[in-house]
Amino acid sequence: MRYLKTSEAAALLNVSPNTLRAWERRFGFPKPQRSPGKHRLFTHGEVAALRDALQEGLSISSAISRAREGLAADANSLVGALVSYERERADAAIEAALALRSVERSVEEVLLPTLDEIARRYSVDSAAWAFAAHWAGDWLRRANRLTPPPVRQTSVVIGDASRDELDRDAPYIHALQLFLVRAGVRVLSLSARGVAGIGDAAAVHRPNLVVVAGGHLDDDTVARWAYAIRLAVGAMPLAIYRRGSERPRVRATGTTVLPPGAGDAQRTLLELLESDQVVASPAAELRQARAARGGR
Amino acid sequence: MTTARTGRPALRLLTAPEYEHAAPAPLVAFCSHCGARPAHPPAPASSSRVCAACGLGLILESRADVAPKAGDAFLVLDRSLAVCALSRGAERLLAALEPNAVNRHVTDLLMPADAEEPDGTSLSTAVAWAARGDGVTRTSVVRPANTFGIRLTARISSCGPPRAALVVLD
Ligand SMILES: [Zn+2]
Repeated sequence: MRYLKTSEAAALLNVSPNTLRAWERRFGFPKPQRSPGKHRLFTHGEVAALRDALQEGLSISSAISRAREGLAADANSLVGALVSYERERADAAIEAALALRSVERSVEEVLLPTLDEIARRYSVDSAAWAFAAHWAGDWLRRANRLTPPPVRQTSVVIGDASRDELDRDAPYIHALQLFLVRAGVRVLSLSARGVAGIGDAAAVHRPNLVVVAGGHLDDDTVARWAYAIRLAVGAMPLAIYRRGSERPRVRATGTTVLPPGAGDAQRTLLELLESDQVVASPAAELRQARAARGGR
Repeated sequence: MTTARTGRPALRLLTAPEYEHAAPAPLVAFCSHCGARPAHPPAPASSSRVCAACGLGLILESRADVAPKAGDAFLVLDRSLAVCALSRGAERLLAALEPNAVNRHVTDLLMPADAEEPDGTSLSTAVAWAARGDGVTRTSVVRPANTFGIRLTARISSCGPPRAALVVLD
């Protein structure tokens, strides 16, 4: 994946950086990501697609529409591969998407919409969905493994409350995990079913924040799990992801309901992790928690 | 003048029919968004087609006698009658934004104003001919879609590249 700074993207398009920013405001395209230093980073594929479309366009809008159509063709080819049960063609389709986009945008703009489309068209009880969900799970896990080790001091425990890999929320939860890992956060994903040994796991991982993700498990089960974590490492912010139709908001209790999109949820979590709410050292909280339980 | 008979797209587009003019009308460049006419039209492929004045439009060409002026309300449509450009003036006049209007059918924005043309045939036909670059300028009385009581004169001709219909509203 090749990225361009604003000046490089503007040069490739033969416009000024100011014009590029004006396009971003008016058309939402090309859509940059932000570097860790908050600088705009454009994917080369998107800028190159727009450059070619501008040669043939009658307006900036029509050129952008054409560039977007070309990029959207990737999602169509992934749907086609998955509903034909062709694993290699699906791998090739996501590779083609990755040539034009970041991992995050390939997941958000191609992989997840593809799964949504298959679930909508064939239902989650279908063989097509089973194949697609399994392929996506594999791919997201592989992408996770290929991510360099975390650089941030922050860590998150995810309590997975989805049913299994065929749960419609499962790809979103895996995507959120991948996005957090790629942002340098240490992530420990555990089933929210089990509480045995959870204290040790949490104590070793020392999370700054806990996310409960998925809507399959009932509230009592999830509450027991969250309580077990709290017993081990003390009170800490809790975020809820894809548990029913709750609207994104911060509850009075300090629980944040994350937006349903994996990228939006990642950004909200990163903001939470950087906010005052979670600056207290996990080690200090751990000591507090131990003191509260009689210094064990 | 043989160019119009050869059927070569660029020449047909840019040449006025013999029965209208003795000599081809000169071409002028204009911005698809603000309508401004650049002092020095860019040479194709060597520099940006993006308007230096507003940065939000591409430089197109049409015959000087039909080209819009800065601030004019105009649309550019392809031969399938889909909206390809909507000038800033047309955005205001039709209460629509170009990024949302692009690829929509012309009748989503403009309708014939006269009751005897309820199906928009003459407007559509004129746009289709102009988008093929037939070099004839036609006029049609139109109204903004979903708005009655407003009559606008649409001057329909050709522009490009690529070849398209130019509809200037007065
Ligand atoms: Zn302009």
